[in-house]
Amino acid sequence: MRSLLLAVLAAYVVAAIHAVLAFINKRRALLRVSEYAMAIGFVLHTSALIADWALYGHYPLFHLRETLSFLAWTLVASYALILYRYQARALGSVTLPLVSILIFVAIVTRAEPSEEAASMSTTWLFPVHTTLLLFAYAAFFVVFLASIMYLLQERELKLKKFSGIYHRLPSLTTVNEIATSSAAIGVTLLTVGIATGMLWSSARNGRVWQNDPKEIFAALTWSLYIVLILYRSSARWRGRRAAWMGVAGFALVLCTFFGARLMGGYHVFG
Amino acid sequence: MPIVLVGVNHKSAPIAVRERLAFSEDACAASLRELVDGELIREGLIVSTCNRVEVLTETTSGRFDDSAERVIQFLTRSDVPRNFFEANLYKHVDDGAVRHLFRVASSLDSLVVGEPQVLGQVRKAYSIALDAGTAGRVLNRLVHHAFRVAKRVRTETGIGANAVSISYMAVELGKKIFNSLKGQTALLIGAGEMAELSARHLINAGVSRVMVANRTDASARQLAESFGGEAVSFERLADYLAEADVVICSTGADEYVVTEQMAREALQRRRNRPSFLIDISVPRNVDPAIGKMPNMFVFDIDDLESVVSSNIREREREAERAELIVESEIMQFQQSLRALDAGPAIGSFRQTLQDIAKLEFNRRRAQLGPLTSEQEQAIEALLLATVNKISHPVLGQLRHSYDPSDADRIEAWRELFGLED
Repeated sequence: MRSLLLAVLAAYVVAAIHAVLAFINKRRALLRVSEYAMAIGFVLHTSALIADWALYGHYPLFHLRETLSFLAWTLVASYALILYRYQARALGSVTLPLVSILIFVAIVTRAEPSEEAASMSTTWLFPVHTTLLLFAYAAFFVVFLASIMYLLQERELKLKKFSGIYHRLPSLTTVNEIATSSAAIGVTLLTVGIATGMLWSSARNGRVWQNDPKEIFAALTWSLYIVLILYRSSARWRGRRAAWMGVAGFALVLCTFFGARLMGGYHVFG
Repeated sequence: MPIVLVGVNHKSAPIAVRERLAFSEDACAASLRELVDGELIREGLIVSTCNRVEVLTETTSGRFDDSAERVIQFLTRSDVPRNFFEANLYKHVDDGAVRHLFRVASSLDSLVVGEPQVLGQVRKAYSIALDAGTAGRVLNRLVHHAFRVAKRVRTETGIGANAVSISYMAVELGKKIFNSLKGQTALLIGAGEMAELSARHLINAGVSRVMVANRTDASARQLAESFGGEAVSFERLADYLAEADVVICSTGADEYVVTEQMAREALQRRRNRPSFLIDISVPRNVDPAIGKMPNMFVFDIDDLESVVSSNIREREREAERAELIVESEIMQFQQSLRALDAGPAIGSFRQTLQDIAKLEFNRRRAQLGPLTSEQEQAIEALLLATVNKISHPVLGQLRHSYDPSDADRIEAWRELFGLED
């Protein structure tokens, strides 16, 4: 499946380069190329994931290599949704290069075949648990990006000094809406994801909470985004403060995703 | 078919000269018919705006000086002596004239680079020339090409992107903050001219409700009426502040009309929804401390001016990219002109074929024996008709090949039939 993934990488790299050039030069024609390349990449990517599933007999979200590829897939899907809903193309100039990097790392990471992967996939709860969480991470990444865009522009509006970036980003209201709705979606996914994880764990060895680093970070992340959502809905923390929370929340997400792997614990597989 | 452009613009000539040379819209058509004599000047177009007076012609003479001279004479009138404007004139020929028109249409030659009005003015000038019958196949092609260049420049560069007037800044800031001004509410405090201008821009951009507050209610009502807004009480300003997404303040007051306390209350009642205040009054009427509050954006006159001048610089950077587009389009236009040159080619093509027919007839004449002059004429007519019928579809295609990509095809035909250039 390596060759298929290489084709995926090629398509995403083309999409990324065009998105970045379009961002710099404000050229619409380049955006079209970028979007076609992304669509082709996404179709190939989806088939690569399905092919992996069929070939190795387990849900393609277990090893690091698979996780990275799947994460890239969720990011592309989220970006496609944003494009459809908000036409906020500026996000692509960050998301698509990141997606390309994730796929590249996935390609160079060695595949580690293991019996464990197959055994984990026997129950439907585990794939649902991991899939939901990866989509939650993608949603939080979108919150993070939109928050950064908010902060950059808000800063320039306050200082009354406008750089090139200012003219290329979506409006404050748009990025604010993107951040708010993505945070709501992310928290929902995270909640259900954690719940299915607990169910699966209790079915496996009767314990709902393992108290390992990943779970602790996930709980922290969950609380932070819940606070963010509550504040946003009460409208007391609109704008800059909410945006800072979107940034801080993503730092926690990164800790949950990578930090736990480094610190070891129950959640380290493969 | 040299293209010659003679004119003055805001850089080459002071207003005193431009206003004397200017053509009124009504006089334009008659002047054009006078200029285009069909001998030296075959086609003509006059662009006359407050910033420029330009005469664009297609001429028969290979000598540029003759045609330029003719246009200068045309511009010279009894009340406008030649020495009054001659030093301010610029003259461009062929590529230079094409470049100039492309730059004008793309607003690269405008007083404020990137302002789109000039394209409409060129369009108007063209339609006058069309009506007067002085725009022929070369100018048609040239002007349409200029429109295309202008469109390319507009879509491919950011030349018209950023506001360069203070009154338009309100719209641009509104779009940056709210994405669209559709359905937003604006509040004008004070009934100054600048406030009115900004309000009109805001309404054009889709603002659905405009409130006007002024110390004297009468002038508030008057201004509000003039664009379908509503006059509101100056005493209850704090209440209306909470409803307004955009506030434009320009009173003559010498203290803060919008205080920090008012803004704080407004923000609370707006549940932190962002709003922005433009303060064009000197001394300032909006407490600058409000700008430090979250979700409140305050711009005073200095802020606006510095943004406008940085936007102008940004446009000038974009203009450099636009110049490259213009250069590449000049080449394309020259190619398409060569295709227009098919006229002479058609003539010599037909002539060559007819000559062949006549030559062959003369060679075989002796073998035909004695013929009456009617018979002789009939045979000649038959031969020419055959040649013309056979060549007709080819010539028809040549005649219609105005597409630049056909230039090569015409060249190929000419070579095929051994035609001289």
